[in-house]
Amino acid sequence: MLDSIFNIDNGYLEGLVRGFKNGILKQTDYLNLVQCETLDDLKLHLQSTDYGNFLANEASPLQVSVIDDKLRDKLVTEFQHLRNHAVEPLATFLDYITYGYMIDNIVLLITGALHQRPISELMPKCHPLGTFEQIEAINVASTSSELYNAVLVDTPLADFFGECVSEQDLDELNIEIIRNTLYKAYLESFYSYCKSLGGTTADVMCEILAFEADRRAFIITLNSFGTELTNEDRKKLYPQCGKLYPDGLAALARADDPENVKQVAEFYTEYRALFEGAGNNPGEKTLEDKFFEHEVKLNVNAFLHQFHFGVFYAYLKLKEQECRNIVWIAECIAQKHRAKIDNYIPIL
Amino acid sequence: MGSIFRSEAMSLCQLFLSSEAAYNCVSEIGEVGLVQFRDLNPDVNAFQRKFVHEVRRCDEMERKLRYLEKQMNKDQLTIIDTGENPEAPQPREMIDLEATFEKLENEMKEVNANAETLKKNSLELTELLHVLKITQLFFNENDSEPSSSITQNLIPAEEGKGPVQLGFVAGVILRERMPMFERMLWRVCRGNVFVRQVQIEEPLEDPVTGDEVYKTVFIIFFQGEQLKTKVKKICEGCRATMYPCPESHAERTEMAQGVKGRLDDLRTVLSQTTDHRRRVLEAAAKHMRTWFIKVRKIKAIYHTLNMLNLDVTNKCLIAECWIPTNDLGLIQNALRKGTEKSGSSVQPILNCMDTTLMPPTFHRTNKFTSGFQTLIDSYGIASYREVNPALYTTTTFPFLFAVMFGDAGHGLIMLLFSAWMVIREKALIAAKMKGEIWNIFFGGRYIILLMSMFSIYTGIIYNDIFSKSFNIFGSAWHIGNSTEATPESLEHWESLTLDPKYRDIYEGIPYPVGFDPMWQISLNKINFQNSYKMKISIIIGVFHMIFGIMVSLLNHTFFMKTISIVCEFIPQMIFLLSLFGWLCIMVFIKWISYGCGEEFDIVHDSSCAPSVLITFINMVLMKKDKLDPESKCKVFMFDGQFNFQFILLISAVICVPIMLVPKPFFMRRQHNMKMNAQRVQPVTEGGESSAVLPVEEGEHEEFEFSEVFIEQAIHTIEFVLGSVSHTASYLRLWALSLAHGQLSEVLWNMVMAIGLKQSNVIVGSIMLYLIFAAWAALTVSILVLMEGLSAFLHTLRLHWVEFQSKFYKGEGYAFTPLTFKHIVNDDEDED
Repeated sequence: MLDSIFNIDNGYLEGLVRGFKNGILKQTDYLNLVQCETLDDLKLHLQSTDYGNFLANEASPLQVSVIDDKLRDKLVTEFQHLRNHAVEPLATFLDYITYGYMIDNIVLLITGALHQRPISELMPKCHPLGTFEQIEAINVASTSSELYNAVLVDTPLADFFGECVSEQDLDELNIEIIRNTLYKAYLESFYSYCKSLGGTTADVMCEILAFEADRRAFIITLNSFGTELTNEDRKKLYPQCGKLYPDGLAALARADDPENVKQVAEFYTEYRALFEGAGNNPGEKTLEDKFFEHEVKLNVNAFLHQFHFGVFYAYLKLKEQECRNIVWIAECIAQKHRAKIDNYIPIL
Repeated sequence: MGSIFRSEAMSLCQLFLSSEAAYNCVSEIGEVGLVQFRDLNPDVNAFQRKFVHEVRRCDEMERKLRYLEKQMNKDQLTIIDTGENPEAPQPREMIDLEATFEKLENEMKEVNANAETLKKNSLELTELLHVLKITQLFFNENDSEPSSSITQNLIPAEEGKGPVQLGFVAGVILRERMPMFERMLWRVCRGNVFVRQVQIEEPLEDPVTGDEVYKTVFIIFFQGEQLKTKVKKICEGCRATMYPCPESHAERTEMAQGVKGRLDDLRTVLSQTTDHRRRVLEAAAKHMRTWFIKVRKIKAIYHTLNMLNLDVTNKCLIAECWIPTNDLGLIQNALRKGTEKSGSSVQPILNCMDTTLMPPTFHRTNKFTSGFQTLIDSYGIASYREVNPALYTTTTFPFLFAVMFGDAGHGLIMLLFSAWMVIREKALIAAKMKGEIWNIFFGGRYIILLMSMFSIYTGIIYNDIFSKSFNIFGSAWHIGNSTEATPESLEHWESLTLDPKYRDIYEGIPYPVGFDPMWQISLNKINFQNSYKMKISIIIGVFHMIFGIMVSLLNHTFFMKTISIVCEFIPQMIFLLSLFGWLCIMVFIKWISYGCGEEFDIVHDSSCAPSVLITFINMVLMKKDKLDPESKCKVFMFDGQFNFQFILLISAVICVPIMLVPKPFFMRRQHNMKMNAQRVQPVTEGGESSAVLPVEEGEHEEFEFSEVFIEQAIHTIEFVLGSVSHTASYLRLWALSLAHGQLSEVLWNMVMAIGLKQSNVIVGSIMLYLIFAAWAALTVSILVLMEGLSAFLHTLRLHWVEFQSKFYKGEGYAFTPLTFKHIVNDDEDED
């Protein structure tokens, strides 16, 4: 893609997204938020930031869930505005971002259905970016092939589903496998799509997606210990577009305990740093947080380049992180559990 | 002189308010709207301030009011704008207000919830009615075939098995979901179901959102229990509502009857509910505006109180505020009133303080000057008490605009528009139009009005009305000696080049006002007008700049900067006058002493007139032009001109080092003296200084000589180079005026003339009718709007850059008093 003609189609949206990004809370905002005594204080402070009066029409006393919903609504509105103004190939790119949420929603609904929860109760919990027409009919399916034939065949996820069609009943483990297979196919497809776009988009996005793939591989491995998932099956779930592919993944597939995983990470500079500082003891950051921090760093770096689509992805992810941070702080305030209030992940 | 010339003198005052009277005092001050409070707790977070609880209560009340307003908008009730201005209620009334809003909100919510359930019921019943009606139709079709009934087997029963019973499900679904629904049914049931659908023609109301939605009735036939569960699941998944539908005809009619009856009952209840809702809202709508104002006033007061300092004893609040010195009495009154209202016995204390802080800039404007003040403020708010260029802008701005936009016809169009805005001012303000472009025009209505009047004037001077001229006083030019032009008399004039040399075509007495109309049709019109307009632009420009420097003298004397007068004003004046002032004088000399006719001798004949520009360039280059010896003309306009010019040039050059060097040195000396004096001071008046309130840390800034010198150098270079480029910049007056005149002439010749030149009367009149529309549209859109905008921007530039750079600092900050005016005028909605 030629940089010089990028702005014809995407200049407005890129400008918009960079403007949105400037509204992301700064360190000083977090310092103020952390000092809040009640959720109303939090609301008062958020009013002075880019969020404006997004909570103005909510009756006090506030609930954390209300804040969460409103934060998400705001983000979704922004994203949908971007999507509505996008033209090809940005439109497809933005659609690709939503597929990830679709996968999460499907898994959420099936799991809910397994536990005999009514769909109407589950729907509000779904991420609004990942809804599609047929989503509510998902409990028709009792096997994965039914799921595919009845519900998913018309959705964009159909392409990713090829590998996991089987006549097995849907149970907890199966769902997890479906989720991870879908996600693997999704990541690989997104990765190759970004590659096909070429230019800076490919540079930036492939970096971010490769990390995403590797993170999944690590987490799948770590979570699989002590379950009935065999090493062979586990290997099939690793997305093959990361930096770990192929040697690292092969080594991960052989891993039998967390120590082995750490040894695999030793071979990769950026992952070694993440594993080294991580731990579950107080005062240490969890591996998950470390991963989040690294993700934030990659996403912030995406804004250092111009004329590419990575900023749209990065903005969404940064904003999601910010929502998680605010909700974390709000939870800490609401539960009067201030000891861990500083465990948010700053976006620098 | 009023504050339009200089901004108001401000005093920093300290206010001691007893805590019980503080609220009322601030409320009174807000009504006056002339006090700017300083934030005394800038380090305190918004949520840690003293009155944050009250602010939050106001937020909550506002939220409730907004909710009510939304409900009113839904019912299309208008909130009456009575224009009254209720006072901010006492804090104790806040509880009453809160209770009222609480009650209203709860009532509204209850009514809405009731209405929603009722509507939902009614929707369900209506849908059921449709289902029954439509299935009836469908079953009737089948019944017409004698042997079949709905549940009868469609496939001939196989032997050994009983007749196959078909089950069915009927329901209603959103129309846009139907295709998806059908597809899914087909896929899941593998084609083993039979679907019939009929669209419901009239829209149904969604009970939650109140939107109109279109729906479709469907009926699905299937066989067996397993399929039934699947079908039901799909129905659920696609948000279809299923309704029980009896199998026999009689039951269905009976059911339909029952449903109809219930639906009627429901409608009566529903209408009563809506009536009740409307009554409640109507009652509330009457007070809505005053409520909004009251709540916003309370909120503004508490916001202000949050900025105050609390005394150690908690008995009184300390405020620091800027007050226009002239209005101190007014504020005292307001404070007294506030104290009386609160019933407090402690009088508030207002005392002025000495300060080194820069006070805010406050210009009192009225509706006429505010437009011009905005033009100046958008460049930069004036420094405290420096001369405000807005005063001069009120005349120079429209004048310079008109020089570029000189066309009486176009000016008239503008005049009509702006006069309409000015005359219908009140009605237009009340209409509260929201368009951004409209607001720009309306805000500048007085500017446009003046611009249009000045344009009509210059249009008359240029004798240019839609690129045509008026011959009011009779042209001074004739063709031949006859007053009538005939083809014969025109013959020996190849073209109408007007030259006053020929006394048979020129009377010798010029046209009394403006250009002679004959120029409009002459061939050398452009030559003549260019020479005139170019010179006039330079003259206007130089005068404008000289005036700017004069204004800087006012600033220097006011701020008592003798050094600036000596080292800036005087050399600048000499520099500008001796170069460009002389240029202007030469123009005048040339105009007066050269011409043609008997009264001018051969040396002063127009053919001998020297070029002002060349003379000026030669003056700077210090060289003499050689004329060929046979010519009787002279290079210079008078004897000794060369030497005179040489003196002027030298004095201009000398001015440059005077501007550059002495001031920084003088400033350094002054600074050193001050430092010395300060070192001595504490010893002599140590006892007294402690009594003075420690207001703010004074300016003990380091004196950086190099910085000051560089700044002075920049100023000097800017002025010297600037006076050349700025003079040239004023040539835009000529260029724009030329472009405007040419454009309107082209428009006339290319468009309007086509219609006028038709020889056939009927064709011509029809064409003219059509062409006039095109010409009028182009005139308004291009010549008035676009050209007007471009001339406006050039004028703005001439003021901001060429004029204001001579004296204007624009380093102040605006006075933003606590005022309730915006709240009353409802401007706050867009915040």
